[in-house]
Parts: sequence; C-alpha cells; structure tokens
Amino acid sequence: MGNTIDANKIMEKATSAAAIFGQLSQEHTDRIVRAAYEAAFDNRVKLAKLAYEETGKGKWEDKVIKNAVATQFVYDDIKDLKTVGIISEDEENGIVEIAQPIGPIFALIPVTNPTSTVMFKILIALKTRNPIIIGPHPNAIKCSTEAARICYEAALKEDAPEDCVQWLSEVSMDITHELMGHKDLSLVLATGGAGLVHAAYSSGTPAIGVGPGNVPVFVEKSADARFAVEQIIISKTFDNGTVCASEQAIVAERAIADKVVEEFKQQKCYFLSREEGKALEKVAYDPKRELMNAEIVGKPAPVIAKMAGIDVPDDTKLLLVRLDEVGKECPLSGEILAPILAFYKVGGFDDAINQCIDLNFYGGTGHTVSMYSNDEDKIKKFASVMNAGRILLNTPSSQGAVGGIYNTLNPSFTLGCGSGGKNITTDNITAKHLLNIQRIARRRVNRRLEHFDQNLYFDESLDANAIEKKFDMND
Amino acid sequence: MVQYNLESNITNEPNLICAFTERLDTANCLEIEDELINKVRESKAPVIFNLQDVDYVASAFLRMCLKVAKEVGPENFSVINVHPNVKKVFKIAGFDKQISIT
Repeated sequence: MGNTIDANKIMEKATSAAAIFGQLSQEHTDRIVRAAYEAAFDNRVKLAKLAYEETGKGKWEDKVIKNAVATQFVYDDIKDLKTVGIISEDEENGIVEIAQPIGPIFALIPVTNPTSTVMFKILIALKTRNPIIIGPHPNAIKCSTEAARICYEAALKEDAPEDCVQWLSEVSMDITHELMGHKDLSLVLATGGAGLVHAAYSSGTPAIGVGPGNVPVFVEKSADARFAVEQIIISKTFDNGTVCASEQAIVAERAIADKVVEEFKQQKCYFLSREEGKALEKVAYDPKRELMNAEIVGKPAPVIAKMAGIDVPDDTKLLLVRLDEVGKECPLSGEILAPILAFYKVGGFDDAINQCIDLNFYGGTGHTVSMYSNDEDKIKKFASVMNAGRILLNTPSSQGAVGGIYNTLNPSFTLGCGSGGKNITTDNITAKHLLNIQRIARRRVNRRLEHFDQNLYFDESLDANAIEKKFDMND
Repeated sequence: MVQYNLESNITNEPNLICAFTERLDTANCLEIEDELINKVRESKAPVIFNLQDVDYVASAFLRMCLKVAKEVGPENFSVINVHPNVKKVFKIAGFDKQISIT
C-alpha cells in the first residue's frame, strides 16, 4: 500500500474502500474512530519526537500538545456527531436530512504540523466514512506516514474497510497533481503553502484549501499590556511560531505602545535596531520566492539571530522589529512562521485599525486576526472591518484559532479562510464539512401561493409592492 | 455458512453457483476465501455468486470477487440477487463495469 505511487491503483483501492464504508452503521463507524483516536493519542509523544527529528522545526514538547489537541480534543468534539443515515427530521417543514459520505479524500499535509494534521484529517474522514489518502510534505514523509499507519492499523482492528487510510511513501509533484485531478477523487483537503493550495483549487476536484495567514494583533488602549504580551509570547513561541494562525505583527496604540514595548523587554524579548532588522530580513526572507525562508521556519529566536549575525541573550524568546510600512518593500511585514514579530506604533484607534487592515490584506485575507481590548464597541468595530474567519479576543492566536482550548471554536488543523482565502467557508474545518447532506422534502404547499391568483404575475402594471400586498391579503 | 452447488443452467452449461447465506464481513470472508478460490479453480466453470441473503459485504469480499474474475474471466462471472445496499457497493466500487451484477 504505502509503496505504490500509481495513482490509478491508489484510487481503485480508495474507491473500493468508499463502497464498503457506505454500508457501515453509526455504531460501527464510531468504534473505528474511537480505535484510531486511542492509538493516535497513545503515540502522541513518539510521533512528536519523530516529527521534530525529521523536520528539525519547532519543539517536540509543543508537538505533543498539537498531537493531543488533534486527537483528544478533536475526538471529543466529533464523537457524538451523527454522521450516518438520518441526522435530523423536521416534521413541521417536512425536511429529513440524511448524511452520506463524500468519497475519497486526498489530504495534503504541511511540514509544520506533520503528525497532528495527519491524525486530525484521518479522524474526521473516518467519522464521515470517507477513505483518505495522506500526501505528506517531502521533508516529513517518515513521521506523517507513521501517524497514518498507526491510525489505519487501529481502524482495521475494528473491521474498517481495507485501504480506508492510504499514504504516499514517496512524494512528487507529478503524483500529487495526478491524484488531485483524478476522476474518482471527491475532495482535496489541502493544508500548506499558497502554491499547493492554488494547485488544489485548479485541479478540477472540489477542494478545501487553507494557505497562509498574516495575523495582526491590535493592542487597544483599554487592554492589559502585561497580560497581552504574556499571551502573545505563549502563542508566538509555541512550536517556535509554526502555526499559521500565530501572530505576525503587533499594532499598538500610542497610549499603550510604550507599556507594551517595556513588557516585551521585561519578558525576554529583543527589539532589533534598524540595522539588525535589515540583517534579519536577509535571512528570514527569500526574495526570489517572495516568501519566508524555509530555513528559519520553526527555529528558536537565538538560532535565527545567530544566522543573521545578531548577538542576543540565549534566553531570548522573540525577535521584534519596528516597522512603519507594509508590503513587498518591507518583507518582515508578511507571514514568517518563526519567533519573529513586526511592531507598529500608531496614533489612535482608527490609525490602528487601518494598519491592521493593511496587514490583514497583505497575504492573510480571510485567515485570522487578534485583538486585546476590554472595550466592547471597539471590538465590534475592529471585527466588522477585518477580513478574517477568526477574530480572536484576549487570546493567544496560535492556540485560539485551532479551537477548543481558549474558546469553543471546533478544534481543527485546517482553518477555513472564506472567499478572501479562496475557500468555500470561514469555518474551522471538521467532520461536518466532509458529508453530503441529502434532504427528503415532503410536500408542504406554500399557503400564500396556493390562494394567490398567479395570473397577476402577467400584469406588468403591478410592481413588487403591489404583488406583495395581494400575496399577504390572501394569507 | 456458504453453500456451493455445481449446477446446470438452462443452456446445460455447468455453473458453479455459490449461495451465500450470511453477512459477508471480514472474518467470514477470510474463513471461506481459500476453499472457495480452490473450488473455482478446480471446477473451471463459469461462477455465479447468489447474494440473496446477504445485506453486508466487507472489503475482503470485493477482493474475493476480483480473484474469481481473474480466475474465470469477468465474462464468466456474475453476481445475482443483490440487495440494494450491496448493489450500491458494487456501483461505487465500479465493479458493475466488469462483472454482471443483477
């Protein structure tokens, strides 16, 4: 199974698995999910270490937490969900909803979360009776395929369909494209870089793709500066900043900015000089690809500083660089998945919002924004002008966006970015997105239409208001 | 659990008719697979699977169907009396394009 790179063979197996899966009852399905969850959870530490050893990114301890969230939190969230047969009956409106699987899913996995995303996607696929093919990142094949194997073998013990989980043990652009565009594939569930997500959308197969973010954090003047900084550090140092929902830029109102700077300094974060900022830019950004440099992704702050020739204390948590502009000419204003933050000091509330809009629309449209504030009116105003699926309040954004820890969003490792991110939804993707819902629609005649003389539609002298009046008169 | 009958049909050609009488889950299929395939090999006759009393099939059964089709050729293999649930399985798996499913 894992050794084949023949797309047709993989899809033949997936199609057979889909056929068998469709017969399973809710009870049987839930037993399979439970078994996969338990096995995945029990291997959380081993897989975290494996992921760290193979990729060299992040921290294995934080990857344990990611693995726990991707299994325990996700399982807890989906375990009681009805995903088989009739899931709702509305007698009054005559609608009965029936859940059906969508069919084989090709799941692309990012290097930054190579085991947690695998386990998350497998659990939601199994819960919805969909076979899944795991496409690992080329630099994380071993750990991703091991996570898939563990889930699959556990599922088989509960008589899951053969080949309900498959994985690519070799990865190439050719096989990825062939699978994405295969006629028997039902969905591409793509989490990764912008190019990959774009390819998924261009494949002709329905796709849920989640690409980059560029998360601004607005520290509004009513915020508690110490608390805000403490939370931002918790988030941005988590797995060395590899979460796509991690903070990228701090936007602080003048009234609170100095306090915020002081707090960062006190909490072992380092503000770079202008020259140091330029040196950091050279190692953190690849101008040819117009993207962050993969070499610094998930590395600790002192290591990155050393790469840039900057001398910082060994216990430095974050590198902060003061910026005024946003855009290509200012590369550190974009997404950098490492313990690096841009810092903007702005005038008042409107200035801060405008700065956040610029950041939000510079590569992060639809993803996530963050705000520290205790002013409800300002919170709502901020939220109404941002283009983000998640507006997180007084919360570390890495953990907050994933859901289930600091809020009641669905725990997910695939965060919908709405039309701004070329996605169909802004939801945190979970099992409910992997179902076809069929509706039995019983006859319920529209009473108003029944008593309405439909010949009136042909009378051009009657406008919308006149027609509505006659419609209602007969009610 | 599984009945095999070597019978003649209306054209007097001998057929190996396998009438299954139980849920064909993984365990049941594994139990009968070797014996059944040997029988198919020995009889060299066209094979008919009668699924009249079967409302569930596992992956192992699909695999068994592929093996039989390979042994006797898809044109000499048919599956009859399928329940709607099982018919849907064959449809989704695309088996109905190679084997006669009725």
